[in-house]
Amino acid sequence: MRERDKKLGSAEPGTPVRVSQNLVGGLSLVAIAALALWLLRDLDAGSLTAMGSALMPRVLAVGLGILGAAVAASSFFHRGLVLERLPLRGPAFIILAIAAFAATIRPFSLGSVSLPGFGLIVAAPLSIVICGFATPDARLRELVILALSLTPACMLLFGDLLNLTIPMLPESSMALFPDGWSQKAMLRASAAAMLAVAALLFFSSTRSDVGDAKEKD
Amino acid sequence: MDTLIANLSLGFSVALGLQNLGLAFVGCLVGTLIGVLPGVGPVATIAILLPVTFSLDPTGALIMLAGIYYGAQYGGSTTAILVNIPGEATSVVTALDGHAMARRGRAGAALGIAAIGSFFAGTVATMLIAALGAPLTKAALLFGPTEYFSLMVMGLIFAVVLAGGSIVKALAMIMLGLLLSTVGTDLETGDQRMTFGQPFLWDGIDFAVLAMGVFGIAEILRNLGQPEDRDLVRATIGRLLPSREEMRQSLAPILRGTLLGSAFGILPGNGAILAPFASYAMEKKLADDPSRFGKGAIEAVAGPESANNAGAQTSFIPLLTLGIPANAVMALMVGAMTIQGIIPGPQVMTGNPSLFWGMIASMWIGNLMLLVINLPLVGLWVKLLQVPYRLLFPAILVFCCIGIYSINAQVTDVLFIGLFGLAGFILIRCGFEPAPMLLGFVLGKLMEENLRRALILSRGSLSTFVTEPISAGLLAVSFILLLVAIVPNIRKGREEVFAE
Repeated sequence: MRERDKKLGSAEPGTPVRVSQNLVGGLSLVAIAALALWLLRDLDAGSLTAMGSALMPRVLAVGLGILGAAVAASSFFHRGLVLERLPLRGPAFIILAIAAFAATIRPFSLGSVSLPGFGLIVAAPLSIVICGFATPDARLRELVILALSLTPACMLLFGDLLNLTIPMLPESSMALFPDGWSQKAMLRASAAAMLAVAALLFFSSTRSDVGDAKEKD
Repeated sequence: MDTLIANLSLGFSVALGLQNLGLAFVGCLVGTLIGVLPGVGPVATIAILLPVTFSLDPTGALIMLAGIYYGAQYGGSTTAILVNIPGEATSVVTALDGHAMARRGRAGAALGIAAIGSFFAGTVATMLIAALGAPLTKAALLFGPTEYFSLMVMGLIFAVVLAGGSIVKALAMIMLGLLLSTVGTDLETGDQRMTFGQPFLWDGIDFAVLAMGVFGIAEILRNLGQPEDRDLVRATIGRLLPSREEMRQSLAPILRGTLLGSAFGILPGNGAILAPFASYAMEKKLADDPSRFGKGAIEAVAGPESANNAGAQTSFIPLLTLGIPANAVMALMVGAMTIQGIIPGPQVMTGNPSLFWGMIASMWIGNLMLLVINLPLVGLWVKLLQVPYRLLFPAILVFCCIGIYSINAQVTDVLFIGLFGLAGFILIRCGFEPAPMLLGFVLGKLMEENLRRALILSRGSLSTFVTEPISAGLLAVSFILLLVAIVPNIRKGREEVFAE
């Protein structure tokens, strides 16, 4: 992945697409304006005395379209900054991480796929680890430690301290705890367990890191 | 004068309550904590921490948010001095000489004078807000829908002119923001506009979703594309208190900076952003030996930092008195107030005096706390600066997801921050700044409502905006301003100011 990126980057003179920022940006705005006008097609603009619901958005969309066209047109008159190749890795992993969070935080179904709600205890670590890979210097072990320490902190902060209504634990896991435990007790117990694992991983990893470093020397 | 004292004492009695004092403290601390992280400016900090304040009462929530704002601002200056990464546009100037001082081993003095200057400026600005609050609110009550509409037009034009970069692009961003604000059910007719028939869009686009997408997620994407290059000062921070000589040198710049900053901050549109630049230019002109500037002149830290903080604080004035946010941070404040069920505007002061004056009093307390907590904690902030970005952004992302989910418990909101983040990132890559868009978005609904009312009052005649004297004056000011900004000569001068 990285190698290919480098090759593409170095092949500057032969790069096929060199579009100006203004052209792309301007045209995107024109596209948004066109979409808005199309969505507004059935609504009534009314008159100035009694403004209809479409008047303001339609005027704004036309204005946006004109400005967008002006920005796009300016790219033909003077050479502006060239749009650099959009990186794919960052946006792809970030969007994936957000989608993973959305899909696991509570029961989710899309078409034939349906997932039970896993709660924050699964959603947060999952998205942290996926998101971490948005940069090429990601290290799995480090991310796992981060996930296992940040998640319980969030659970305690948002669930215990601030009482925000976010599902914390998977519903099916409730049965695993002894009878009579309150929600908060379960939350605290699982947070403590995660922190313990994180600490364990952290200390074992620093030792092995030191070992690695020594071997390299 | 008596009423001012009575009002302020009401304010302090609210702000000094144990809970509010604690919230101001936590706000300042957490704001600095997040604001110190490289690549996280005040807007992102507030957007990320917004949900934390939901479970509080309105007064407490606003006090905490204001604390977060000052904290983030202060954190931005700290990173500017120590790592040469200005967290936001207003600390760009601080980075010039502040970082140069740090390289010479005077980081402590630079941080110290920044804190002292900010505290002084904050004190003056608080007094100014308290003094101007009541009369301006009275004036605002005389405003009808026609005047309000023109005032908002002026605010948006100011924002366009004062933003760096292309004017056409900034205008386009404002249009986009205004357009996005019209998505959802039209309150007057009940029609659904641009909702794709989706129920989650019936209430319109949530402000927090847009802000978090554009300032939280898009910022992560922007930072990921840039190589991590931190020029952290390894030398010791040194003594925090500036020497007597340095204090003497800084006194006049602090006074001048405070004055400039307070004046610029009141301007609608993002006036505060210009204040540090203006102060830097002024100090350089007045200095006996201008060549020292850029190499670590303490005046060049003291003046702009005071201007920065004074401007940051007086930019609350348009919001608190007229209900019109002057910049993206204030737009976030409007969002926070709306979530708490408070409609910003002149009626807040009359209808909810303890909230209004409590918030003003807490501003001063917040500034004092920053002075007290930040200087001793500098060592901790330096540690935080060493956290690599590869560990930071996953944490920021998860905070955004949790925060946005906790507002409405809607999975679609979570997905939408991703969508807006991506869209914002593409716009940034194309050279568009997202801040004017957010301002347009916040003002959009108000503008439409006031336009509609004004037109009903004038029986459908658009000429009402130029025949009513106040409205005509406001529009004339905005028109002249826009003209001035477009005229090539002056435009060149403006670019020079930004280039410096």
